[in-house]
Parts: sequence; structure tokens; C-alpha cells
Amino acid sequence: MNKRVIYPTDDGGVAIIVPAPCGLTIEEIAVKDVPAGKPYKIVDVADIPTDRTFRSAWEYA
Amino acid sequence: MSIELNGTTGITTPDLTSTDDITANSSAVLTSASLPTALNATGSAPIYAARAWVNFNGTGDVAIRAAGNVSSITDVDTGTYEVNFTTAIPDENYAATVTTGLSELGGINALFTLLPSTNSFRVYTYAVAGGGAGAYRDTADISAVVHR
Repeated sequence: MNKRVIYPTDDGGVAIIVPAPCGLTIEEIAVKDVPAGKPYKIVDVADIPTDRTFRSAWEYA
Repeated sequence: MSIELNGTTGITTPDLTSTDDITANSSAVLTSASLPTALNATGSAPIYAARAWVNFNGTGDVAIRAAGNVSSITDVDTGTYEVNFTTAIPDENYAATVTTGLSELGGINALFTLLPSTNSFRVYTYAVAGGGAGAYRDTADISAVVHR
């Protein structure tokens, strides 16, 4: 699945949900695995940086 | 006696009047007695199957290689991941076993888990090199298994 779900963390960062091949759609996984009350976006995997040197500085936008 | 197979209504057996009318090849039926043998287990110790498992890459493009009863991994921060179950575990008192390969940056990977819930738990990977201060580190080969 070439999609990811992103949502803001409580400390100002961003969490990225990586779906497993479990039979659920990315939308169903987002509803189930994003913490209640958090906004989220479904993005292409290509939109996620692969250089994680400054991972802690990533922000939800 | 007749047995009718019908894709809409299932199996009807109008002439069966007791369980004596039903026989089965015992070698093909899984029972509590035959299950340990089928799993190559000896002795009388009970068997507890894994309730969830996952193998994932925690570096670069974080990705799941394979999983069972895991809907996703949440990449929370450097060396910080959350394992989310597809179907909830009965309670929070499960055992989560986590393993990893050697740190790409050297040193020892410390693994620990926090925040267990019936829906998820968190995995941290931490590297300590040369006796100095450690830091959270991404790791390429992380596996987790849950028993309850």
C-alpha cells in the first residue's frame, strides 16, 4: 500500500501510520489507529522524507 | 439417508436422527489430543499461540515486511514505534517480545515497551555506544510477537 496516514503528536511533531496488509483500507486503518480527536491526512508514501536525520523536527502541516 | 449441499441454505440432512449417523476420518479431524502432534509439540505442557506479530523496517521509508493481526505501525519519532492490532487483545496483560538486529551506528540496542493497551503498544529502540550516553536510534530489523 503506497499510502500513509499522518497526524500531529502532542509534543508538536508528526506521527506516520504505516499500514499492514491486513484486509482493511487505508481509510479504515486511519479511523481505527489515529488517536481519537486527532486530525489526520492520507498522503502518498513519496511525500514522506526518507532521510530521518532530523526526524524529531518533522511537523504536521 | 441423503445429504443435500445448497450454496444458499447450507447443508441439510433430513434423515440424520442421531450423532451415531455421523462418522469422520479421525486422522483428518483436529482435536485437543491431535493438535500438539500437528504442531510437533511433545509433552503435556500447554500451548499458547501468538495473538499478533510483525516484522518491520524502522529506518528510511519505514515499512512492514509481514504481519499477523497487526493493522499498522505508527512511526512516532526516532526509535519510537507503535504496533496497532487489527483485532484487540483480550486485555493489557499480554507478553510482548521484541527483537532487533545490531544498531547500524554500533553499540547495544536496548528494547523496551510502554503504553500497552488492548489496541496497541509502543516499542522503543535505544543505542548505547562505548559506555557513553545513549540515544534513541532507528533500526532496520524489528520484530514483535504478542502472547496472551
